[in-house]
Amino acid sequence: MRTERLSGVHMASRPILGLVAMLVLISTLYLIVGPRLIGFDSLLDLANGFDAGSFDHRVLQTIRMPRLVAALITGACLGLSGLLLQGLLRNPLGEPHILGLNAGATLAVVVATAAPMGLATDGIARPLIAATGGGLLFLATIVFASAGKSGMTLLKVTFCGIAFSALASAVTSAILILDDDTLDQVRLWMVGDLAGARMDTLWASSWLLVPAVIAALYVSSCLNALALGDDVATGLGISVRRVRLIGIIAAALFCGIAVAIAGPIGFVGLIVPNLVRRFVSDYRLSVPLVALGGAGLLALADLAARLVMLPHEIPTGLATAFVGAPVFSILVARVLR
Amino acid sequence: MTMPFKQPRATGYHQITIGRLEMRLHILRSVILVLAASGLIAGVFWAITLGSQDILPAGLIAVMSGDVTLSPTAQAILTELRLPRVVLAVLCGAMLGLSGASMQSLTRNGLADPGLLGVREGSILVILCLTLFGPSLPAISYPVLGTIGGLLVAAMTVAIARSTSNLRFVLIGIGLSWFLSALVAMILVSLDASDAQPLLLWVTGSLASATWDIVPVAAGLLLVNFVLLLGCARASDVMSLGAQTATGLGVRLGRTSAIQLLAATMLSATCVSTIGGIGFIGLIAPHLTKLVIGNHSQASVLAASALVGGLLLLASDTIGRVAFLPLQLPAGIVLAMIGVPVLLILLWKRRDEL
Repeated sequence: MRTERLSGVHMASRPILGLVAMLVLISTLYLIVGPRLIGFDSLLDLANGFDAGSFDHRVLQTIRMPRLVAALITGACLGLSGLLLQGLLRNPLGEPHILGLNAGATLAVVVATAAPMGLATDGIARPLIAATGGGLLFLATIVFASAGKSGMTLLKVTFCGIAFSALASAVTSAILILDDDTLDQVRLWMVGDLAGARMDTLWASSWLLVPAVIAALYVSSCLNALALGDDVATGLGISVRRVRLIGIIAAALFCGIAVAIAGPIGFVGLIVPNLVRRFVSDYRLSVPLVALGGAGLLALADLAARLVMLPHEIPTGLATAFVGAPVFSILVARVLR
Repeated sequence: MTMPFKQPRATGYHQITIGRLEMRLHILRSVILVLAASGLIAGVFWAITLGSQDILPAGLIAVMSGDVTLSPTAQAILTELRLPRVVLAVLCGAMLGLSGASMQSLTRNGLADPGLLGVREGSILVILCLTLFGPSLPAISYPVLGTIGGLLVAAMTVAIARSTSNLRFVLIGIGLSWFLSALVAMILVSLDASDAQPLLLWVTGSLASATWDIVPVAAGLLLVNFVLLLGCARASDVMSLGAQTATGLGVRLGRTSAIQLLAATMLSATCVSTIGGIGFIGLIAPHLTKLVIGNHSQASVLAASALVGGLLLLASDTIGRVAFLPLQLPAGIVLAMIGVPVLLILLWKRRDEL
């Protein structure tokens, strides 16, 4: 028993340590490389203390470090949201962008911003509004997709998600075209760009991360059983409905946090969990791996978005779509037969 | 030549012989088509009168009969702003309706649509690159080269999916179209804001910049491709019985499919090069058509889809133009709001099969 537990910990620690090392590497690269190259020594200097006279320090402190933190947290949230959706629906195509959560969250924030009575859209309200919108649209998607004799098939839920996303995006665009004030407030955020990451939201959201992570850990311990089918999971003493409910709330929270910070960014939640689950089948181990991987991937994507079109920056969401959309097509071709 | 037996009356067909030309007309469907066409013409006249400066229908008739002359401003609004816009809306709607109808019969997939399959994005990418980096070419070359882009994407989708009749095919196309739109957006982002603004509007699909210059190209290509598709209509009726039966009955499968694909892609590319990326009409128009006249003959489905498509784009552009004056919604957004519910209804009807 003891050796088994030890080997379990040992097996878990190696990929986690590997991913942490990769994350440190990506983060260092992220801080150093940019339109202005910053020497590694300046970075070490900053660790010793902030020097207001140094231009490098000011760039790091005010621009790159906050953006890096936003990228890491957003990426981890997107990855976890995707992992939970994939596990709960037993659907490798599950992803907040595809299943309508991103579009719903965006619509909710835009509606709240445009609302005449002036709903609060800063601080902790913003991720909560986004999570509610995302959750509601996702609920619509799965209710609609569950109709029919065949139940909720992979195809139906994916297609419904895409359809509901298109509807929500059209409504969002219509509101923004008709309401200039709202457009001005959300323009940069709308396209899914970490350049417009809102730091106040970032700090406020970190409070929401606590319940979301706890829920994710609880759900992940049941997902292994759920993967064997609802009946087996019930037989193993798991309340499938409760796990689903908590899991969907957690997925919506993660998506809401990510959208509130950086706007709708797609495909991180598709790529990372699918990649991790090729090597690790245990959902409990997948949670930290996906969080680390998502953070790393989004930081890398944002680094690429800042650099590929110099002197222009492209929105982060475009960089992820560039990689993620072909991955989606290939996954569809492989998964659906 | 005498007919071996008389057509039974109950089928509703009527034999017409003009010299050596013989035609079978379905009376009810023909009446519906004529009604739809007159509805479209009436819609055009009504749409012209609407806008920030109202010109009453009665006034319009008076102007056309030469009794009254309008002020120069009103005259310009009518002939240089509204008329080309309305005409283009009808033409492009018809193109998209035709394109969708032929793609759906070709792939035997009710959800096939140039927008969903990525064909539209392929054309957008090619035409965008031509506008930005290419030499100045005659207007006709944009739709033709755009067609090549669309065909390449179609080939790629088919190569990945291998079969075309299921939803999987559509999903793979959606993935490819996401990728291509990301590419298009990247190109747009790298431009200066002043250059990007009109192109961005064009990518979303808007009739706001319609002028008379592009009407001849659009009308010409619409006509050519419509004739091509009508020529294939009988073969495609037979093809709906299955590939083997069709071959047995003497249909050249490869040639017919190639012509249909080429015409459908070129129609979509023409629409892209004239007004930009408009979605959903290719999806909805054929289904609305089949709801009314049934799916008995491809020729009538094609003709009616063109009419319904024209009506749809005219209606959504006019709604977007008039509903929130003085602001305008692009037709593409109005269409998405109409189109997605229709898409969901289609999905609902097939809920047991998927």
